This record gives sequence, structure tokens and C-alpha cells, in this order.
Amino acid sequence: MNLKFHKKKITGILTVLPENEVNFDDEIDNYDFSRGQSMKLKLIMGYGKRRVVKEGTTASDLCIFGLNYLFDNNFLKKDEIDAIILVTQSPDHFVPATSHIIQGKLDLKQDMVCLDINQACSGYPIGLNQAFMLLDQEEINKVVVLNADTMSYKVSHKDRGSRPLTGDAASITIVENDSSDSVIYGSVYVDGKGADALIIPAGGFRIPSTAKTAKLETDESGNSRALDHLVMKGDDVFNFVQKEVPPMVDNLLVKADKHKDDIDYYMFHQPNKFMLKKLADKMGIPYDKMPNNVVENFGNASGVSIPTAITHNIGDKLMEGTLLLFLAGFGAGLSWASLLMKMGNLDFCNTIEFKN
Amino acid sequence: MDNFQSSIAEILEVDSVELTDELESFDAWDSLAVLSIIALSDSEYNVPLSAQEINDSKTIEGLKSLIQGKK
Repeated sequence: MNLKFHKKKITGILTVLPENEVNFDDEIDNYDFSRGQSMKLKLIMGYGKRRVVKEGTTASDLCIFGLNYLFDNNFLKKDEIDAIILVTQSPDHFVPATSHIIQGKLDLKQDMVCLDINQACSGYPIGLNQAFMLLDQEEINKVVVLNADTMSYKVSHKDRGSRPLTGDAASITIVENDSSDSVIYGSVYVDGKGADALIIPAGGFRIPSTAKTAKLETDESGNSRALDHLVMKGDDVFNFVQKEVPPMVDNLLVKADKHKDDIDYYMFHQPNKFMLKKLADKMGIPYDKMPNNVVENFGNASGVSIPTAITHNIGDKLMEGTLLLFLAGFGAGLSWASLLMKMGNLDFCNTIEFKN
Repeated sequence: MDNFQSSIAEILEVDSVELTDELESFDAWDSLAVLSIIALSDSEYNVPLSAQEINDSKTIEGLKSLIQGKK
């Protein structure tokens, strides 16, 4: 489905990374594979360092830390926040919504909208879509989009397919009305028939967590995980991304009347280096226009990977000037979404570390 | 599919492969080789393959006919 938004803009992006860093090399012996095999995988997939929270830290902790940084540095005032949209698949609790917990702990005003959205790797464009729509309300002038995930808790320590690429992080994006006549183009797609391609089978109401769902089982390729863990069908996800993302990009370029070369950067979700390079090859986009270095430096933190790619790679450029960006997220659901927008002259666009 | 065998040989880290060779007989046969074949099939032949289909194809020849059958 194509979307279009008028007179909206992003005015700041902050990424919050836990300071705790884990190195793939130090974890190789956890996996039931030879060292040689794991080193080869490391090279191709871009496994390296990743940031993970320490036991006890949740999505709201990362968000509150980042929001306090913005309050302390006068980038944001508490009473200006008319809405908080939190996109996460690792909420503090099933009940209540984590955005409400954040509102309460920060003592924000009651006269506002708080909304949790359950989306994974396409959560950045989807959260922004919601913010753009809320800004059409007369009394809503500033929306804070929070993306936060701590999926490191949910990947088995014996799953070489998922664990070495999973990181934890949060991001804060400020969205406001724009007085200039700007247009943002977007698109969203879903395929719930692929729901089991990326799933945590147990822990919800369908299969509650029990001692049985915590028991590790080894699959045919040698990885062990429990029903409480995230399971990813890597081949299905790869084929889904290669099939659906290039036509989504082509379609949105047509809608916006832009050519591939007009785009300054393709800031895509960061599943791993391999998949991003294959996507760039397929679409004929140079690697330097599509950064793929988030997994090797920080790990893939689901919907936070696009803002991380932005603040890490082009933060300075977005403070000084304006760029035409193509954002695309794709993953669990299945879900894939994109935005084509000008972004620039931001009040802030940087990365900070959460101490724990 | 002129370069098929040489591309597969490269993925399996050997100088050359025969059509009758069994996939599991190669030292480099692992989940990464499977993923590399999925990527090769997608980029060179525009054919999506699942890990299951590749494992079921047993030999180099089986893999080749799998891709040809889906083209």
C-alpha cells in the first residue's frame, strides 16, 4: 500500500547503545561447529562486536536514559511531547504498555497519546508512519518515536545462526510538522502467511512458557534452541527479502518520480552484511550508498538498526546539510515497509552509550 | 548454466566438481555452503531455493536439475 505525507519532518535522531560489548571470537567455542567454519561465517555475515544489555535492563530503561539525555541537553522539553510511539517486540510486560511506563517514570503530561506498536525489523518506517498521521491532529505538534529491543535475551547461546548477529539498542526520533511544502513517500506490505519464518514460539498465550518450552533441542544443522527462543528460517527470510524488497524500492521511486541515482543513501534494516550486499547487487546500488556495517560493530537490534545506521554513518552530514534518503525495513510478520524523504539540518543526530 | 559447475566448485572450495558427486561428500558442505547456493541461484538464475530443497537434491546433478526445473 502506498502512503503519502505532507509537511512533516524529522528534527533529531538519537541512538542509545548499551556499553556492554561482546565479541564473536570470544563466543566461538559455545557453538557446536569447528573454528574454521565459524571464522568463514564471521567473514561473510559480518559477525564481529555486538552490544547487549546486562541482565535486568529492559527496553524502557534504554528509552528513559536516552530521553533524559535529550532533556538534560535541552534538545527536548517534557511538556512539548504530545505523543510517544514505542515500537518494540521486547516490552517490559504484556500489561501495561511500555510507553505508559515510560510516560509515568518520566513524569510526562497526562494530556498526550501513548502507543506501543508490535513490529520488528520494519518498525522504523512503520513507527514514523504513525507519527506522521498523528501530526495531522491540531493539538499534536511533536511526536517522539521510540524504537527499542533487547532480543539478546531471546536468542539461544547455542544458536550460531541468530545469536552472533543480535544486538540490543534503542533510538529516539523527533517528528514535527514542517512549514515548507515537503512530501514524504511511503509504502507498507504484510504477509502473515510467513509468520513462522521469524518467531518466538512460546511465551505468549498460545504456548505459555513452561519447563518443557525451556528445554534445548538440536536442529539438523547443529544449532540448539528452545521453544522460548527466537527461531529464524534463514533461507526463507533471505528469499523473502530478495524477492520483495527490490520491487518495493522500484515502486516507491516511481511514485516519487525519482531515479535510483537521485538517492543519496539507502539506509536499510541491517540483518547482516551478506544479505545487504546481495540486495545492493541485485538493485545495482553501490555499497557506499547502502551502509552494511551495523551488525559487525553493534549487532542487529531489529527496528533500531536503521536509526543506528543513520547516526553512525551519516550523523554529521545530517547536522550540516540535507540528504535524500531511502529507508527500508523488512522482517518478522512478515512485514516490509519503506520511506523516501529528505532529511537534514537536524538538531541532533548522534549515538550515546547506556551505562550498566 | 555454463558456469554452474565452476561456481559450485568455488563454493565447495575445490578445483572442480563432477555431476555425480554427492553434496555431503565435500568437506566444505555446511549450512554456509547451502546459504551460498541459495544466493548464487537467486543472483545468477533468479531462482529462489529453500535449504530443504538443496539438501534433498543430494548430488551436483540433482541441484542443477532443481534449478533448471524452477527457471
